[in-house]
Amino acid sequence: MNNPFLLIGKTILITGAAGGIGSAIARTCIGLGARVILTDIREDALNSILESLPQPAEGTESNLAIKADLTNEEELAHLVEACPQIDGLVCNAGIMKLTPVPFITEAELGRIQSINLNAPMMLTKSLLRKKKIRKGGSIVFTASAAGVYRVSIGNAIYATTKCGIDAFMRTVALEMGPRGIRCNSVNPGMVETALIGSFSVEEKQREMKNYPLGRFARPEDIAYGVTYLLSDASSFVTGTALKIDGGMTLG
Amino acid sequence: MSYNPYSLEGKTIMVTGAGSGIGRATAVEASKLGARLILVDINAVGIDETKAMLEGVERDHLGFAIDLCNEAAIDAMVKEIPVINGCSNNAGITKLTPIQFITPEEMERIHRVNLIAPMMLTKYLVKRKKLSKPSSIVFTASAGGVFVASMGNAVYATSKCGVDGYMRTAALELASKGIRCNSVNPGMVETPLINRGQVSAEQHEKDKENYPLGRYGRPEDVALATIYLLSDASSWITGTALKIDGGLTLR
Repeated sequence: MNNPFLLIGKTILITGAAGGIGSAIARTCIGLGARVILTDIREDALNSILESLPQPAEGTESNLAIKADLTNEEELAHLVEACPQIDGLVCNAGIMKLTPVPFITEAELGRIQSINLNAPMMLTKSLLRKKKIRKGGSIVFTASAAGVYRVSIGNAIYATTKCGIDAFMRTVALEMGPRGIRCNSVNPGMVETALIGSFSVEEKQREMKNYPLGRFARPEDIAYGVTYLLSDASSFVTGTALKIDGGMTLG
Repeated sequence: MSYNPYSLEGKTIMVTGAGSGIGRATAVEASKLGARLILVDINAVGIDETKAMLEGVERDHLGFAIDLCNEAAIDAMVKEIPVINGCSNNAGITKLTPIQFITPEEMERIHRVNLIAPMMLTKYLVKRKKLSKPSSIVFTASAGGVFVASMGNAVYATSKCGVDGYMRTAALELASKGIRCNSVNPGMVETPLINRGQVSAEQHEKDKENYPLGRYGRPEDVALATIYLLSDASSWITGTALKIDGGLTLR
C-alpha cells in the first residue's frame, strides 16, 4: 500500500533523543520506515535508547547515536560532520525551570536560552550551510503552547525561548521554501515526561482541569504530529505551528 | 507495513462536498487508509464518480445527494446513517465580490453553505448521538480570513472566520463527549472552485509567487491533513487550526 505518511527511505536526525518525547519520536520514525540519527547530551541514556529501538527495515543502514552538547561549538561541529545527508531534522532538545520574574538571573536566562534557542538555531544553520539537508527535506521544532499561545506563572524564561523558536521556524520556512526545504513546529501542552516530574500530584491534578480532553499528552501524541510534518503527507505545509494541547488554550 | 498510527481502519467517515475537489480527494485517501465512507454532496453525479474511485467496495460505502442548506434534509439523513467515527465538514462555495457590491442575498447564499450547514450538520450528529466516543470532526476552513485577507474576498473570509469560531467553541463544548473538533486551513488549492472565470490563468501564475513553496496546494495536501486529524494519531488535538498554505502567510 502506498501510504503517504510513511518515512521509508528517509534519514531523520533527532536531538534530545534520550528524553521522553525524543525517544517516542525516534520509535515512531523507525516504525514508519525511517533510519534515525540520535543525539543527546546524556551519553549513557542515549546508548540505552539506541539499544532499545528496533532495527530499521531491511536494506536500510543502521541507526546511529552521536553524543553531543549542542551548546558546545566543537561538539556541534562534530555532530554536523559525523551526520550523513538527512531528509528530516527534529530539534527537540530542551529544558524547563520555573522562576518567578523577580528571581530571574542572567546566568540562568543564558543557560536556558543557549539550550532551547541558540542550539537549535546553530544546528539548523550548520546543517544548511554544510548542505546536509536534502531538497524535499523537513525541519520540525518542538516548540510549546507555552509562550506562543499562553503564559503561566513562573514560566517567563521557557516561554521566551519558545517564542524565539516560533519566530525562527517561520523565518527558516520563508528563506528555505524556494529551496524545497519545509520548516514547521509542534506546540505541545503538558506532556507526561520527566520534565514535569518536579510537579506535585496536587499541582498536576489542578493543572489537568485546564485540559478539556481530561488528560496530559502521551509522548506519542507529539511524535505523531512530528512524523506527519516529516512525511510527504505534509508537503504543502511550511511555517505552521501545530498546536497539540488537548484543548488547553480554548477556554 | 502494518504499523500505521494514521490508519482509518474500522472507522466510518462522513465527507461533505465529496463530489469534487478536496472532498473527493479526502474520501479517496480515507478509503485507501481503510475507512468506510459516507459521501454527501448536492450533486448526485459527483457522488457516483467519487464512489467509483474509492477503495474497499466490500465496506459498503454510502452516498447521500442532499442540499445541506435544508435543515430537514440534514436531519433525515442523520437519522438514516449508522454511528460514525469522523466527519469532514468540507462543502463550500466562494465568489469574489468587492465590498461596495456585497448584497445580503449573496452573503446569505455563501454563509448558508459555508457556515450554517456545517453547524447544523454537527448539531444533528450530536443530537442524534451519531458520533462515537471518541470521534473527530474536521472543518475545511481557510487561510483566507483566518490568517490573511485578500481583495474581494470579504464574504468568503467572514464565513471561514465563522467556521473558525465555531470549531473552537464546539471543541470546548464537545470535549467531554470525546468528540474532537479541528480545522484545516488551506491556501489556494487547485480545485474547480478556483477557476470560475473570475481570475485568469496569468493572475494565478503571478499569485503563485506569493507562495514560498512556489505552487498552490493539491487537494491531496488538504485531504491528508484532514486524515491526520480524523485518525487516532491526533487524539490529543482539539481546537487546532492546521494551516496548509505553502508559506503564503509568513511575510
